[in-house]
Amino acid sequence: MDSGVVVDFAHLGVTYANGVVALSDLSLTIAADQAVCVVGPSGCGKTTLLRVLAGLERATQGGVQLSRSATLAMVFQQGLLFPWLSVADNISYGLMTRGVTPPQCRAAAREWCERMGLQRFIDAFPHQLSGGMQQRVGLARALAVNPDVLLLDEPFAALDAQTRVLMQELLVDLRRQGLCRSLLLVTHAIDEALLVGDRVVVLSARPGRIIADVTPELAHGRSFDEIRAQPAFTQAFTTIWQLIRGEVEAQLREEVTL
Amino acid sequence: MTQSRWLTWLSPVLLLVLWEVAVQLNLLNRVFIPPPSEVMVALAKALRDGSMEHDILVSSQRIVLGFVIGAVPGTLLGIWSGLNRTVLALVRPLATMLYPVPKIALLPLVIVVLGIGEVSKVATVAVSVFLMVVIHTIGGVLQIDQRYFEAARVFGANQRTIFRTVALPASLPAIVEGWKLAMGFALTLIVGVEFVGANDGIGYRIWQSYELYAIADMMAAVCVIAGLGWVVTVVLDEVARLLVPWRYTTVKESRMSVIRTWWGAVRPWSYTAAIVPVLLGAAIAAQHVGLNWWLLILALIGSIAIQGGTNLMNDYYDYRKGTDTPAVKGTGGALLRGELTPTQIFWAGITAFAIGATIGLYLVSVTGPFIFWLGLCSVAVGYFYTAGPFALAYVGLGEIAVFIFMGPVMVLGSYYLQIPTVAWPAVWVSLPVAFVVAAILHANNLRDIDTDRINNKRTLATIFGRDGARIEYYILVGGTFVSQWVLVALGVAPWPTLVTLAMLPLAWKLMGIAGREVDPAALQPVLRQTAVLHMRFGLLYVLGWVIALWV
Repeated sequence: MDSGVVVDFAHLGVTYANGVVALSDLSLTIAADQAVCVVGPSGCGKTTLLRVLAGLERATQGGVQLSRSATLAMVFQQGLLFPWLSVADNISYGLMTRGVTPPQCRAAAREWCERMGLQRFIDAFPHQLSGGMQQRVGLARALAVNPDVLLLDEPFAALDAQTRVLMQELLVDLRRQGLCRSLLLVTHAIDEALLVGDRVVVLSARPGRIIADVTPELAHGRSFDEIRAQPAFTQAFTTIWQLIRGEVEAQLREEVTL
Repeated sequence: MTQSRWLTWLSPVLLLVLWEVAVQLNLLNRVFIPPPSEVMVALAKALRDGSMEHDILVSSQRIVLGFVIGAVPGTLLGIWSGLNRTVLALVRPLATMLYPVPKIALLPLVIVVLGIGEVSKVATVAVSVFLMVVIHTIGGVLQIDQRYFEAARVFGANQRTIFRTVALPASLPAIVEGWKLAMGFALTLIVGVEFVGANDGIGYRIWQSYELYAIADMMAAVCVIAGLGWVVTVVLDEVARLLVPWRYTTVKESRMSVIRTWWGAVRPWSYTAAIVPVLLGAAIAAQHVGLNWWLLILALIGSIAIQGGTNLMNDYYDYRKGTDTPAVKGTGGALLRGELTPTQIFWAGITAFAIGATIGLYLVSVTGPFIFWLGLCSVAVGYFYTAGPFALAYVGLGEIAVFIFMGPVMVLGSYYLQIPTVAWPAVWVSLPVAFVVAAILHANNLRDIDTDRINNKRTLATIFGRDGARIEYYILVGGTFVSQWVLVALGVAPWPTLVTLAMLPLAWKLMGIAGREVDPAALQPVLRQTAVLHMRFGLLYVLGWVIALWV
């Protein structure tokens, strides 16, 4: 494996016990400090890709390799915080399992709460928070373990449109601060993929194969509105949308004939 | 009280009134359906002659024992079955099959096997509790969203951590729910069991009254079992709040467990100041006479009640004067966070004072007017500590009031209960305790020196300034030890009391922090540790006096 590569999916295939082929012959590498976003029609196996990497799903062909001693953390759909733990205990969960002492856990939780604007809620339970706050806790829980690769599974899909934009900006901002290194984000929102990722990988309908691997030449480091206004953004968006649209339409036709 | 609270009381009261009226107007036959007033008379009579007490105790014992014997293994087996497929396959069919069998139907069988004694009654309750708890616990564990296990695994949790941080807390709500249902079951069952094969217990009492056609007695017993059921429900609800807090905190009101809220508001840990002087007075008196334990215990309860009342009033008036902020630890905190209302605090304070006063009056009736004046002054100082236009704590007299009243006055009072003479040695002996108790208060004022200045709360600390206040802390903590050494040197206190020397390192450390730190957060431990110093020093000092009884 290359020295600069953190994650290497090689000819990955996943077939579920019920015979559904989720992924087939998928190869993808993620470089250190790279933000890769995976987009595709729903049901294309995007999430399966993440689950294999996280060790929650087994590859039936090929596999995935992590660079030596690389650590992972994951942000789940709708946060998936532990309802019985306070915000502080949720944030420091990954530290606790790694044997960090309670006072240090608390200190880390406090630091992340400040960074995420959650100081007032440090002792609250998740259900007392809004969706956006919950997902900020989810993000803090993942980043608190200082992972080499951050996995995000449709993290902002359940949020309202305004909150979603703020969360995307927050994520980009955290990356700019160097708090988040490599990143693999799975989403069905093309604009989200373009705004957050350095590189956008487009998957086909099931079984998921890579049909495009785009590195849009966007001038990052500006506000989202400015990025959106660039012709390159519109162009990349249209290209990706055409690809996915074709897949979705094909999928629909297939379902109709079935 | 809100309107809905009134309404919830209205229907039961109305029912009782209608019932009473109907009987009095002879619309209902008094022989078959006695009026509530008659039932209450029967209840009072049964409680007074002690027979009801015995039955309550016996029934409660059977329920609690049966519940514990059934619920503990039931919970463990339920969790195990929920987590392990093999165990589940073995346990679930059996539990599901036996569950619908009315357990009372098994009583004759149980009696055949275990005899008619106590064991068979407890066993019947235990078996049904066990089955109910097993089934609910299995359900609770199985319904856990698998994604929580996945999240825990992704974050590196091992099997044990997953059990502790996911499986157990996630299934707790269902487990506790199962306990509640099982307890209700146990109550129903015990009455049935006692109908049949018992010589005591509330169920037996109901049946016996029925056979004697003493309907009022029967209804009185029914009231008692209903009351028991109510108590059990309240207790288990409290348990649920403690074990499953995340289920009981809503976005709007974060209602803490009642016990925890009051625990924080009443500050039981501060009672070291109420307990140590009473023990000390008794320990000194014990050098001359045999102790009257009854009076000692009453004095302790009374002293704690007055301290509790003082704490509550303190919070109430601090809140009214606006000196506390929500950040304030513990107490005023509960009020400001809206967990308790000012009215609740006020009445709780009054209640505590009333308990203290009642005990005080009793003690006065056994010992004499000296205690009356002592108690009256103490209550007055407690009340005017923060209340009224001339609140002692706000004009720099807090330390002096505490020094006198939580030192010599209390020790002397406790001594006087045992030996009704005003003994000056008891006053001298109390000085070390007086110093250290004043040090607690002063640690508080030292911490709050800046905020008190802003709020115009005059304490010795704000009057002396920070340097002066530090010296005052040295004097109070140092005086604790030095005064005691003088007492030992003069032969007033016995030499074994020097065991308090063990506390010297702590005192030294505290003086160091107090002399160094400025930040209230850094001074917070000084306050807490000074209270610890008071407790440990005080108890060791008392211990010294107790040892002196033998050496």
